Amino acid sequence: MVHLVDTVEVDPDRVDRYLEVVRTMAVPVMTDAGASFVSCATTPDDMGEAVTVQTVWGFEDFRQWNDIRKQLVLDPRWYEYGTSAAALRRGGSRRFFTPVAFSPSR
Amino acid sequence: MLRRIETYSLQPGPDSPVPGAPGAEAPGGDVSGPGAPGPDPPARSVAGRGDGATAFREALGACPRHIPEVLHSAVGRNRSGAPVHLVWEHAFESPEAYRRYMVHPYHATVLDRYILHDSPERVVAGDRLGAGLIGYHCAQPSFRLDGGVRRLVLLRLAADAGPGAVEELGAGLVRVPDDVPGMRVSVMAANTLGSAWFDGVTPITGPPRWTHLWEQGFASEADLAAYRAGPHPVAGVERGGVPAWVRWSGGIVTKASDVWYELERAAP
Repeated sequence: MVHLVDTVEVDPDRVDRYLEVVRTMAVPVMTDAGASFVSCATTPDDMGEAVTVQTVWGFEDFRQWNDIRKQLVLDPRWYEYGTSAAALRRGGSRRFFTPVAFSPSR
Repeated sequence: MLRRIETYSLQPGPDSPVPGAPGAEAPGGDVSGPGAPGPDPPARSVAGRGDGATAFREALGACPRHIPEVLHSAVGRNRSGAPVHLVWEHAFESPEAYRRYMVHPYHATVLDRYILHDSPERVVAGDRLGAGLIGYHCAQPSFRLDGGVRRLVLLRLAADAGPGAVEELGAGLVRVPDDVPGMRVSVMAANTLGSAWFDGVTPITGPPRWTHLWEQGFASEADLAAYRAGPHPVAGVERGGVPAWVRWSGGIVTKASDVWYELERAAP
């Protein structure tokens, strides 16, 4: 399983709205395209700093990701999700991870 | 062989100060077709937009080192008025080679980091030119140009244009270098990759905005300028914009635009 990990920074007063975008827009778009929804987690929102939101999607390999990517590009909802999420975050990163051999979750 | 060209405008930032300029379209053209996406949200990469744009440019340039299927790769800086910042031109030996590129981890993990609409590190903006991905099939790399200036003339041909008339139009454009020595490359082809970007063969979207492209190559901007201001009849047509194209082609060409860019020296 390959994990696509989006890690973004969001102002505390925008976290709820960002999570709502993930829940109501990202999850249906990504899962309909064939990705697994692995997790979504946040850092505390009362520490006086931006909140980090980490969203993880899963798929078998890059061949499957290419098929998922195709479905996303052809889905108008994906563009709405991308625009909505971008408007609420400060910045972030996207990385793909492959679990190591001794990882309990593969 | 598959010839493939991607044009990108970048979100505003330190090294992309002009995200598009007026005058991109030949007179009578249209850059706001129904498929054109709207404006993008503000740049928000943690690395800073300028850093992201530079990293994207470097990632494109480094692509052949990671994906050997990518041939004739060069990154170009737009020098025209088209709403584009950079162009990545390249080729593949076959559809099979193209499909290996599509599933290569470098494509997903590095290139798409800066491109995909939902990526937090996206640096590109909407495709106002309608030429985000264009390309064609060809027998040999007659497009090859080792440095200098590339110009892409984007053409929309009438849907009812007959194959004979299109072939005649293309033959006329390909012959232009016979009278314009400064034009080192002249290829006219149907934009077959614009809607077949998944596997390089099968159209999966509607017809592209630009049905054909005329790919030119010059050793220098001076050579390009000499052609554009020169006496060749086709240069005259180009100066006249879309109405002149329509008249000269007998109604086959219905819209036209162009982008030209300086090819950056390939990494050793």
